[in-house]
Amino acid sequence: MIKRSSTARPAPRKNDSPPHPPRAVTPATAWMLPVLCAAFLGPVCFAQGEPPRSIDVGSLPATVVDEVVVPVPTEVFGVLDKLGSPNWHEVLRPVKTENPGKRPQVALLLGATIAEGFIAVEAQEAEEVKKIGRQVLSLSKAIGVQKSVISRTSSIIEAADKKDWQTIRQEFDGASKDVKQAMIELKDAQLAQLVSLGGWLRGTEALTQVVGKNYSKDGAELLHQPAILDYFQRKVDGLNPRLKENAVVKKIARRLPELHTLIEPAGGVSPQKVEKIHSITAELVKTISSQD
Amino acid sequence: MKTIVSFALALSLFLCSAHATVDDALSFALQAAQPYVKEGFTVREDYWGGDLPVKQPKAIVQQLFKGNEYWFWMGTDVASAKLSVHVYDAEGKLAEAEYWRNKPHMAAARVVPKVSGSYYLIVEIEKSPLERTHWSLAYGFR
Repeated sequence: MIKRSSTARPAPRKNDSPPHPPRAVTPATAWMLPVLCAAFLGPVCFAQGEPPRSIDVGSLPATVVDEVVVPVPTEVFGVLDKLGSPNWHEVLRPVKTENPGKRPQVALLLGATIAEGFIAVEAQEAEEVKKIGRQVLSLSKAIGVQKSVISRTSSIIEAADKKDWQTIRQEFDGASKDVKQAMIELKDAQLAQLVSLGGWLRGTEALTQVVGKNYSKDGAELLHQPAILDYFQRKVDGLNPRLKENAVVKKIARRLPELHTLIEPAGGVSPQKVEKIHSITAELVKTISSQD
Repeated sequence: MKTIVSFALALSLFLCSAHATVDDALSFALQAAQPYVKEGFTVREDYWGGDLPVKQPKAIVQQLFKGNEYWFWMGTDVASAKLSVHVYDAEGKLAEAEYWRNKPHMAAARVVPKVSGSYYLIVEIEKSPLERTHWSLAYGFR
């Protein structure tokens, strides 16, 4: 179980000791700086002193707010492992070796397949990891970015033989980053976003399957991901008309607002909401994997 | 012709140099991460980066999960620059459990989220001899 901390919020510990920084010399008046900054210079200003204990996040100019990095499934699965012992074999789905023809769907499927790789690692299924590694390469080839992942997929297969799960996790994360980078270099940044979206949908389907089977508030809280939903909603809204017209993308775009409502914390994410999120994500992943 | 060649050479040198500084900033962030990898932290392959003027903080919204522990490591290639990274929760309250800075090239912050949701990472170049300083921010979790 997760250890619950006290509700009191302790002052952050400034660790000037090794392994890293030299001891900082703090001026006696350092405490005044954040106060003065907050009063006169705006919501975020704390150079030279201790960080302010609070900032006005509502006043952050939109232009300074950078994009989220979409979490890898392991970030969530690791917490589920701490909460209990999920049966990852039940969650793992055999990979299909056929590739759908259309590029947007291939990109979505590539993301979902990489997410499946993380599930196979949780289940410690070395043979399945190898199959997924090969499928990642095959899907990458279908959209012309296979060169970017050849070494990653070789490492995945090699590490699966050694059952080196940590290396496999790192390589799946790296494969996801590399294919997206390659797409950006090919002026296909929007396709790269679909890889992230496909991965998130499959990861969320898996998360809701585990939480739905053995509901706990801590497990359900993992579904509270407003920044991620905002991010995907923005990206899907901003897709070019050609991608937006793709039937699979269209279907996902239609369901995203519904998912956004369900993950809001008002009253927590109830078992009913978990079930609903599972049903939506499962349906979307099925569509991504379909040959129609 | 000579002018075109000179311009192309200058442009390629500029581009190489700009690219190198972003990569260098990341390598310092990853160097900062090294001791924590031995403690079981998984470092993400994705990262943030860019260049910033002095004392103009940048906010990054990031999803964190209760049950994990996170370190954010910031790096720059400018040895004399001072950096900082701090973490705030969705309500704007300081959320980090500890932080360090004032080491050449690096700064870091650790957070153990009390709730799953959006957090604000505030990165800042506090001091630098350059007008704009390249930075990079990596993170790890366990």
